[in-house]
Amino acid sequence: MSDKKEYRGSIHQQQKNLMLAWYDQLDRAANTGDPPTVSMMISGNCVELLEGFGAVPIYPEVNALQLAIRHQSLDPILAAEDLGYAADNCAYVKADIGCILKGITPTGGKLPTPTLILCNFVGCNTYLKWFEHTAKLQKAPLYVIDVPFMRADTPSRSDVEYVVKQLQETVKKLEQLTGRKFDHDRFRQAVECSSRSEELWSQIKHLARRSPSPFDAYFDAITLMGPLYVYRARPEGVEFFEAALAELQAKSDAGKGVYEQEHFRLVMEGPPPYPYFRTFRDMFAKWQACAVASTYSTVGGLWEFGFRHDPDKPFESVAMHMIAQNVTNRNFLQRYEQIRRYVEDWNADGVIIHFVKSCRLFSAGQGDMRDYFTKQLGVPTLYIESDLEDPRYFAEAQTKNRIDAFFEALEHAKATAPVRA
Amino acid sequence: MRIAAGVDVGSTQTKAVIMSDNGGLNIVARALMDTGANVQRAAERAFDTCCQQADLHSGDVGFVVGTGYGRYKIAFGNTQMTEITCHAKGASFLCPGTRTVIDMGGQDSKAISIGADGEVLDFVMNDKCAAGTGRFLANAAEVMGISLDEIGPLSLQAKHPVKIATVCTVFVESDILSYLAQGKSGEDILGGVHTAIAKRTLSLARRLNIEPEITMTGGVARNVGMVHALEEVIGRKMLVSPDAQFIGAVGAALFALEKLGQSFEFGIWRGDHATSGGH
Repeated sequence: MSDKKEYRGSIHQQQKNLMLAWYDQLDRAANTGDPPTVSMMISGNCVELLEGFGAVPIYPEVNALQLAIRHQSLDPILAAEDLGYAADNCAYVKADIGCILKGITPTGGKLPTPTLILCNFVGCNTYLKWFEHTAKLQKAPLYVIDVPFMRADTPSRSDVEYVVKQLQETVKKLEQLTGRKFDHDRFRQAVECSSRSEELWSQIKHLARRSPSPFDAYFDAITLMGPLYVYRARPEGVEFFEAALAELQAKSDAGKGVYEQEHFRLVMEGPPPYPYFRTFRDMFAKWQACAVASTYSTVGGLWEFGFRHDPDKPFESVAMHMIAQNVTNRNFLQRYEQIRRYVEDWNADGVIIHFVKSCRLFSAGQGDMRDYFTKQLGVPTLYIESDLEDPRYFAEAQTKNRIDAFFEALEHAKATAPVRA
Repeated sequence: MRIAAGVDVGSTQTKAVIMSDNGGLNIVARALMDTGANVQRAAERAFDTCCQQADLHSGDVGFVVGTGYGRYKIAFGNTQMTEITCHAKGASFLCPGTRTVIDMGGQDSKAISIGADGEVLDFVMNDKCAAGTGRFLANAAEVMGISLDEIGPLSLQAKHPVKIATVCTVFVESDILSYLAQGKSGEDILGGVHTAIAKRTLSLARRLNIEPEITMTGGVARNVGMVHALEEVIGRKMLVSPDAQFIGAVGAALFALEKLGQSFEFGIWRGDHATSGGH
């Protein structure tokens, strides 16, 4: 039995085609200045707004992870460190800065100077400095949307109005920069498209509640996340997710899972170590362990619990999404609750926490998170450390040792549980 | 009679034991040697030495479980398991009643919560830092020009242990040199070194529920000063088997015996075929 499993349906090729088409658009923008482009972060992205200008998003994180997964992230990281960035700075930042300095792109094509660098500051305060630096290096205009952290279960009315006002200011800014009038109808259509994509994506996520799960909601979900952030507000995005749902539904209806036998069901917290993506995945595949849910797949939007963009309230729903419906802007108790729901509703055997060395903001507190799940809820939880972008932090033998020991213990616990019950 | 072996290839030393179930479970041979650069050779030598001790041919040994960081390099092994699972098993066998294992090896330290059957309930390990490991003590011994075997007994003679500020294996050298320059005694410096490591290890173990009996395993368990320092910071006695250093190999051998008897039905073996190649 092979221990290397990966979902390879036709949607995999469709996803690849969509992402290449996106990079082609960026290449065209670099050569001709059209379409306009807006650089922003994945978390709390407001791609719907861009549709009102026919503008295309640039996601520095996607570029960075593409480099890492192709084992090309260290050179730009070192270039940034030569410039003075510290060893423990966010490795995404360093990879992006290094790419700008060295003219590196993931596909080898060109990346345009953004029409606007839109710092949609959500959760990660490093982004403020990151986007300031890229704006300076690229001589591009910078606009910051200050999105308040989640301080309660739901955002206050004033928080939503605060963000809506800034979105409307962004519209004015983009009208000046692009010379185009904001197309309200197209914006509303984009919000409608997003709503449909989100519903489809949510249904896909809920397929993983079945046993066996037809896809890995961590490793395979990452394949689907690209179209989610770039295309969800477009008809191509809706078509893609319709095809993805149909394909995965059919697979599930046929009783097929990721593995011939699904031995373990996991919830994953934190992004993967992209420089060792395949190696990391194989460590779980060896144990036929399938992720049935992941917090990382909600960095750009948390839709499986019901939130949808609302074409009747386009600005308000974009603001709500930015404030409340992405994992990085949620407080720790909400993150606990999200994982707890996954464990219970997706029927998981354990939780894997991947601590990212160069992301103090998101990773700080994960030791307490582990304690909460192991000691208070009695959920087996493994805590491992490396990095999402910097290959120097990944220790293969140590990581493998922990993962193997975790499954050895889990195997024993599962095998003896019925006896003791 | 069934005969099986466990081979624990650690970062610093390789341990092998042969066990039989003749009249109860017995360790019939044990071997210890430096791992060195050739991991595979170290495993073979340790196993061969055990066979010679027990007057056995390698073919007489029905099953071999490899463990430790070099476990995938044990070409003659039938399967591999992590040393975490094996330490729990071995400690439960050699020190019945064990619920917490503190293992200090050459390059890693770990704490393991174990259940009544010797199964792993939870574990924590040091990560990418040699603080709290045998390497820290080896560096301290080297700086002071004392053999590793001497530092434990000497540390027990400390009257006014110094305060070692760092637990960094590299920077401890400058701390020690600074105290030597101040004229502090070797005993007091070593007392401080052992206390610093004990506190570091305790903070690691506290991430688990530390429940008695607590058993110390690994090569550092031979260091009486370290055992004492740990007992001081934990506030209770620990169990230390004379075979503390072999506990991983003993656990591996016990799993091997169970495999021979097919009494082990928990399915940990499922990983076997997936791990047997490509490493």
